[in-house]
Amino acid sequence: MMRTCLALGLTAVLALPAMAQQAATPPAPSWAQGRPDGMAASPLAPHAPRMTVTAPDQVPVAALRVPQGFKVELWASGAPGARMMAEGPNGTVFVGTRTIGRVYAVTDQGGQRQVRTIAQRLNQPNGVAVRDGNLYVVAINRVLRYDGIEGKLDAPGEPADLTQAFALSPEEHHGWKFLAFGPDGRLYMNRGVPCNVCEFDRDRFALILSFNPDGSGQRIEAKGVRNSMGFDWHPQTRELWATNNGRDWAGNDTPEDTLLRIRRPGEDHGFPYCAANWQDPFMQPGRPCSEFVAPAALLGPHTASLGMRFYTGTAFPEAYRNQIFIARRGSWNREQLSGYDVVVAKLDAQGNVTGIEPFLTGLRDEANNRFLGRPVDVLVRRDGSLLVSDEQNGAIYRITHGQ
Amino acid sequence: MRPGFLLLAAALLAAAFPFGPARAAGDAARGRALAEEHSCGGCHGPQGVSGQPNIPSLAGQPADFITLQMILFREVLRDAPPMPDLAQGLSDQQIEDLAAHYAALPSGPAEDRGPRDAGRFHDGALLAERLRCGICHLPDYRGRMQIPRLAGQREEYLAGAMAQYRDGRRHGSDTNMNAVMYGVTDAEIAALAHYMAQQ
Ligand code: HEC
Ligand code: HEC
Repeated sequence: MMRTCLALGLTAVLALPAMAQQAATPPAPSWAQGRPDGMAASPLAPHAPRMTVTAPDQVPVAALRVPQGFKVELWASGAPGARMMAEGPNGTVFVGTRTIGRVYAVTDQGGQRQVRTIAQRLNQPNGVAVRDGNLYVVAINRVLRYDGIEGKLDAPGEPADLTQAFALSPEEHHGWKFLAFGPDGRLYMNRGVPCNVCEFDRDRFALILSFNPDGSGQRIEAKGVRNSMGFDWHPQTRELWATNNGRDWAGNDTPEDTLLRIRRPGEDHGFPYCAANWQDPFMQPGRPCSEFVAPAALLGPHTASLGMRFYTGTAFPEAYRNQIFIARRGSWNREQLSGYDVVVAKLDAQGNVTGIEPFLTGLRDEANNRFLGRPVDVLVRRDGSLLVSDEQNGAIYRITHGQ
Repeated sequence: MRPGFLLLAAALLAAAFPFGPARAAGDAARGRALAEEHSCGGCHGPQGVSGQPNIPSLAGQPADFITLQMILFREVLRDAPPMPDLAQGLSDQQIEDLAAHYAALPSGPAEDRGPRDAGRFHDGALLAERLRCGICHLPDYRGRMQIPRLAGQREEYLAGAMAQYRDGRRHGSDTNMNAVMYGVTDAEIAALAHYMAQQ
């Protein structure tokens, strides 16, 4: 079992033709890895993405709910597949995507938003980050830098290609990246595991990595992190915190997604042996959770907890300062939908999570087990407002407080 | 696993996955006019059932599937000549209209479909069962949402598509098909394609 999983894990997506011809009776395909017999007939599969423009009057903004005193409005639309966000020094919001291969730039134009496509035909350019006015875009196995981007949004020209220096891995499965600059000036990204659950080289996959901005000096910041699609640094302690996606096919309520607090670089968070304080029986021989760092909080089963940021603004009430907003894109591997919202992780002065509270709701229609949208990232703008990207509707919402 | 899981799964299946957001569909009448204007039928058949090798039938494909593939063509993310060139300049609305048109046409096998080979059909059926094709493509292989209809599709087209997934030359919006085809031999692909084409 373990040997076949190893082979599958590392080649699941590359499917090297030579090997493919050899394997006469392959094991369960990797999309069904770790799937118990009782689930063999489950029809659950990833939801269809929407890659066409959703007209503003079709965006479900009227369904959105935020706590008393807050206001939510449609900030931008017409950006199909909108995912991760980063703000430039002049206030341009850059937006990465996956399936549609584009990067958008959203600017304020006299109270209206203009959405430009500044890059396209890329393989899942999910990661965007800005430093010194330069935009970094990371696709699967590609790193691009657009210098002085805000001065040339209409004609971005050819980016500097840093791909070789970063030497990323070509795996497509969980190969898209979240990207951010740390307070140390280094560029951080995840490297997900190329399977659902499998044995793999734990120094090569399921990592959070950091690099010098030119791609040199790779360092492992966290190990055993199945796939993190969001991280940020505590504004005071500068500790790295990250969301992490639990695996599929272990049941409706197992395991939960997690919020990780990474106190020391290189710490091991347990995947594939342990996730969310649950020792995965799929791994034989296993390793107990006591060998690994425990998560700071649990974020619900299959919720797809992705983008997260500490609230660093002053426009929201004091109680939100240095708390974490987390976008939960929503489940597919669960009979009753979970997630499809934005929650707040409440931290006390010691950095212990004291609770996970709902913040933006309304996109999950519980009664009909339907969803209306899929929040992927949150971004605190310099004016203290909070942006939320909705991948399904190609839209960005803006949340403000008071008037 | 909880015993209720299978039952509930079956119920969900019957409801054909009402998970996604309701949305304004494309306009089939406008799509028909567009298809004529762009001579889609010259290759894909006047009623969306293709009579030409390596050109897929479109009739009865789920609208979401056609829309997604047209977007992948237009954005030059699916390398499949001549479609990327043909999709340039189409707006999102036009793509949705075209998709509505073809989704509404009755599916059916190509006129030039060959006879059923009992042996290969049987092999294909066993493989489809083992690899659980029907879980995603639905038990009658009519497809749903972004997952295409396989039933009655042209055999050589199906075989070519499966080899592309296996060899990493085609990717959808997720890597499921690449993973499904991992390690499947050419002979197995031929049997699967025959089985699906003969539905
Ligand atoms: C000159 C011939 C030609 C014309 C005209 C043409 N197509 Fe195609 N189309 C093809 C071929 C060939 C393929 C398969 C490409 C491949 O997979 O390598 C294809 C594939 C497709 C697919 C993908 C279907 C699948 O099952 O994956 C769609 C959707 C499609 N065409 C829609 C259209 C539409 C809509 C038009 C008119 C706007 C059109 N085509 C016009 C030749 C044509
Ligand atoms: C986990 C879900 C899943 C399973 C299981 C699955 N498929 Fe698919 N299949 C998909 C999706 C999603 C697509 C569309 C991918 C894309 O956009 O290219 C697809 C596309 C295809 C296509 C391309 C058809 C066309 O018109 O372009 C073929 C052929 C196919 N599948 C055959 C199979 C066969 C045969 C099996 C069983 C051996 C199978 N699939 C099992 C999800 C699945």
